[in-house]
Amino acid sequence: MLKRLYRWLDLRIGVGEIVEKELTGYLLPRNINEWYSLGSVLLVIFALQVITGMLLMIYYVPDADKAFKSVTFIMNEVPYGWLIRLCHAVGSNMMVAVLILHMLSTLLMGSYKAPRELNWVTGFTLLALVQGISLTGYLAPWSQLSFWATTVATNSASAIPVVGPYLVEFLRGGKLVGPPTLGRFFALHAAVLPVVIAAVIGAHLFLLKRTGVSAPPFGREGTATPFEAQQYHYQGHPGGIPFFPNYALQDLASISIYFAVFLAVVFFWPGMPFTPDAFVPADPFKTPAHIKPEWYFLANYQTLKIFPSELLGLSVQAAAMTFLALLPFIDRSPERHPLKRPVFLTLVIAGILLWIALSVWGHLS
Amino acid sequence: MIRKNTLAILLLASLAFLKPALAAPVEQPETVCIQCHGTLPDRLGAPVKLWRSSIHADNGISCNGCHGGDPKDAANAMTPQRGFLGAPKEKDIPGFCGRCHPGVYKDYLSSAHGRALGAGGPTCVTCHGNHQVVKASLALINEKSCTRCHSFDRARAIRDAMQQTEGYIDDISRRIADFQVSGVDTEKMGKSLFSVRNRFHTLFHDVDVARVKGESAAINKELGKLDAALKEIEQSHQKRRVAGGIAVGFMVLLALLFHLMKKSYD
Repeated sequence: MLKRLYRWLDLRIGVGEIVEKELTGYLLPRNINEWYSLGSVLLVIFALQVITGMLLMIYYVPDADKAFKSVTFIMNEVPYGWLIRLCHAVGSNMMVAVLILHMLSTLLMGSYKAPRELNWVTGFTLLALVQGISLTGYLAPWSQLSFWATTVATNSASAIPVVGPYLVEFLRGGKLVGPPTLGRFFALHAAVLPVVIAAVIGAHLFLLKRTGVSAPPFGREGTATPFEAQQYHYQGHPGGIPFFPNYALQDLASISIYFAVFLAVVFFWPGMPFTPDAFVPADPFKTPAHIKPEWYFLANYQTLKIFPSELLGLSVQAAAMTFLALLPFIDRSPERHPLKRPVFLTLVIAGILLWIALSVWGHLS
Repeated sequence: MIRKNTLAILLLASLAFLKPALAAPVEQPETVCIQCHGTLPDRLGAPVKLWRSSIHADNGISCNGCHGGDPKDAANAMTPQRGFLGAPKEKDIPGFCGRCHPGVYKDYLSSAHGRALGAGGPTCVTCHGNHQVVKASLALINEKSCTRCHSFDRARAIRDAMQQTEGYIDDISRRIADFQVSGVDTEKMGKSLFSVRNRFHTLFHDVDVARVKGESAAINKELGKLDAALKEIEQSHQKRRVAGGIAVGFMVLLALLFHLMKKSYD
């Protein structure tokens, strides 16, 4: 039956040619490893976020007077509403975590180097956008946590000279966080950012198709890959393994492992994305004693506290992030094996340790 | 040109990354009463030390909550013009506390303790303390405290009748709080418990043993309904965990299956 359907489609739209070009004939490096499947895992996570987000929108009301009650209704009255909401909340955290892992593997395997600078830049932009969509979604439940986290987050922009106060008012839609802020953030969260993220993912995949997949620097003699081409050249892998079925099965294995971890959090650690303030309705007249951001913003949060002025803290972070974003244009050495780049490896490990230390410090402070 | 544009995009991306960073947490400022008396020695500073471990301090009720005055203006904090009341005389203490605890005040006045006010009977601070005000609990009904004025026999009978109910209330309160921080709608149950707890607290100033026993039994019945509702939620959460365990196990098996299939192609 399936064969007949395939034949029927092939005769009309040439499915066989597409399968040959994009699946069975799409060859990948023989030494490709599991880390390369994180991109596929991220695509699945994003799709799940979109689906759960759409389902939540059926009952969620983006109105300051009704938002909290509508989320409570979803969690308690809607059949499997708790599951959909938990999947969405846990998924947003997992998306950031897997995205960081994906970027770290790219960093350590030197896959950001020429000719893949734009792949890195689009990936870095996606990290910023994913953090942006997480932040805007944070306000949606209109809880004490949402309200006050958004108040201090938007307030940080006031440290920017000259335009800071105007920017804060623009973000909030008024002097203070209130109903107009919820409208703005919800529009960004549900309409603008998903479309922008989907477009940047499209650009990221397009760039991947045009440059070809980079070969891992492990398990071979020459690990330096100088980029000296005078004209466009697709980096193919003759004699490599086909994407389908070989690597598609690796993708499926990685996606299954991801789901095992994800579901374990959803069912056995459902409080992971929340603090007690997340279940108290927003009260502009009652400031909680300690407002902590999500784990992936803790290092930023602590950095702002270390420096005597908020502007200095913001500037240091801007410099660090700009350096990271421009890395492929700064690090031009062709060597890609991390063990043959001791200075780079030391810097990466030091950077990771610093980030972890700042995050732990931010959590405990 | 392309490089300049790329640089601009990167700078914007890094700014977007920075936007969500949060500022330092907001701390509640102390009142001028605490700031000044907290540094004073002996009689003038002692109330602050006692207050710090009180139920009032835990709930953000500072000196001005009882004594009046202006907690923001050190120079005029203790002037009658700013509503400063000072310390009440002994017979005025129940009325002083009763401004915020009117229900308890009413219960106290109708009890044997209240009827003896001004004639050697106890006031609120006799049992609850004045600055180190302790939470109303059965621990306050103890031999050491009660035998200051009378024998402990009747007080013991009342405490024993209420002991089980208090434990029941504490247990249900803890379970509701646990569910509340996991997204369960506990509003109705919380209100119901609040009402039951208030009813229970009216017994604290009652010295009629038979009435205390009868009321405690009726309250236990109400608590039983809440207990049943909570057990139902607990069972549904247990079912969720079983389903979650099966789903996680299935995913692990699926991962193993795909891994083995991939190996067969290598």
